[in-house]
Amino acid sequence: MTTGDQPLPLRTPSPLDEADRAALARIAGGELAALEYLYDRYKTMAYSIAYRITNDATLAEDVVQDAFLGAWRNAARYIEGRGSVKTWLLSIVHHRAIDAIRRRRPTTELPELDAGLPDALTMPDVWAEVSANLDSITVREALVALSDVQREALELAYFGGLTQQEIAERTGTPLGTVKSRMRLGLLAMRRSLEVGSS
Amino acid sequence: MSGPDAMRALTCDEVRELAGAFVLGALDPIEAAAVRTHLAGGHADVHPEIAELGSVIPALHEVVPVVEPPEGLKARIMAAAGADLAARGAVPAAGTAPLAFPGAEARAERANRRSRTSTGGWLLRIAAVLAIAVLGGWNLLLQNDLGAARRYEQNVAAVLATASEPGALTAVLTADGGTGSGLAAVNRSGDVAIAMRDLAPTSGNAVYEAWVIGGDGVPVPLGGFTVDNSRTAFFESSGLPSAEGIVLALTLESGPGATTPTMPIISKGVAAAPG
Repeated sequence: MTTGDQPLPLRTPSPLDEADRAALARIAGGELAALEYLYDRYKTMAYSIAYRITNDATLAEDVVQDAFLGAWRNAARYIEGRGSVKTWLLSIVHHRAIDAIRRRRPTTELPELDAGLPDALTMPDVWAEVSANLDSITVREALVALSDVQREALELAYFGGLTQQEIAERTGTPLGTVKSRMRLGLLAMRRSLEVGSS
Repeated sequence: MSGPDAMRALTCDEVRELAGAFVLGALDPIEAAAVRTHLAGGHADVHPEIAELGSVIPALHEVVPVVEPPEGLKARIMAAAGADLAARGAVPAAGTAPLAFPGAEARAERANRRSRTSTGGWLLRIAAVLAIAVLGGWNLLLQNDLGAARRYEQNVAAVLATASEPGALTAVLTADGGTGSGLAAVNRSGDVAIAMRDLAPTSGNAVYEAWVIGGDGVPVPLGGFTVDNSRTAFFESSGLPSAEGIVLALTLESGPGATTPTMPIISKGVAAAPG
């Protein structure tokens, strides 16, 4: 496993993070039991995210399987400092789920699966968490505090898999406004989460 | 960014404008690639907003309604990872049949096939992987016990042949405190096939006796079998009631011909329709 160029001091690693990293190192060494450990820990969140995005039980299963196999095959590429193993894994799930639903939409431009894709398209961008102490209530409150249009933009983008252009078309909103809603919505959430976790 | 401008380099201001959509994954692939190219080109330090906005993304995972994955998914994943491990050469593969599960490389083709795949065929493939994984095929591979792994695969394949018949029932037999687990299938005619692994080898006259327990709760002997050092076994019998809910169980008996089971039960499972 490699170390990132710019570790972001946003989050203090927990003992569970250490256990996850140890598991990932064992996965990189080809230890199936470590994959089993990681699956048992994150199966529910992984499947929940996949199902939330795909709204299709069969497709969600495929997504989760792809994601865990992606983690299995790419464990050595996990970069410390760019998010926890949990975030890394769930980002893969999200990435694969969005790929899956975009592939189902004939109008969306997307490269063919896997063959010859650069790393960035087969593995997700991963972000360090704003806080390790977040719970669903805090995050929900942060989401509820957003304006309806900001929340809609974030949800359509992250869980709907829509591009900013598609969001603009679907909501009848100028593209520049959609960009602003996403950026300002995320900034507002960050402020709320920082307060909520302090 | 579209059309002729799609491939041009972005300015820092443009990247700032796209930052929210970028971290949310809401850029099309060309736009996202342009942002990455910009960041990789020595501009990352002047774009703290990317990390700032991106730090919110993991929090979004916390608000997703909880849905539990299906039971068989873990088995599928472990089987596929086990097959991947074997394919890497971590386990000498001479003469070993590959585990019957598609890799990620075959995903697109598989997705395209899904709509025209019969339900029975799909269930059978799932059952195959479920059986191989649940019954510990990867464990056998990890133990480098290739002979046992091969034998076990053949046994599972034989059970799946019965399981693939219309109206067949399957049961996953799990160890009841000790070791010994497996897969069984009962067809409409009452023929049963059982594949087992991790059973302690028998010695002397001792046999494992298979039992079926129907709605009346009375164990009916199906016959016995011995186990060698491979710790795997395959057993066939007939005359079972083909009804969901029947229990299949194994006990270890001092000799063949037992009419009542000797406790404890080694392994047992409930027959149910696949899927």
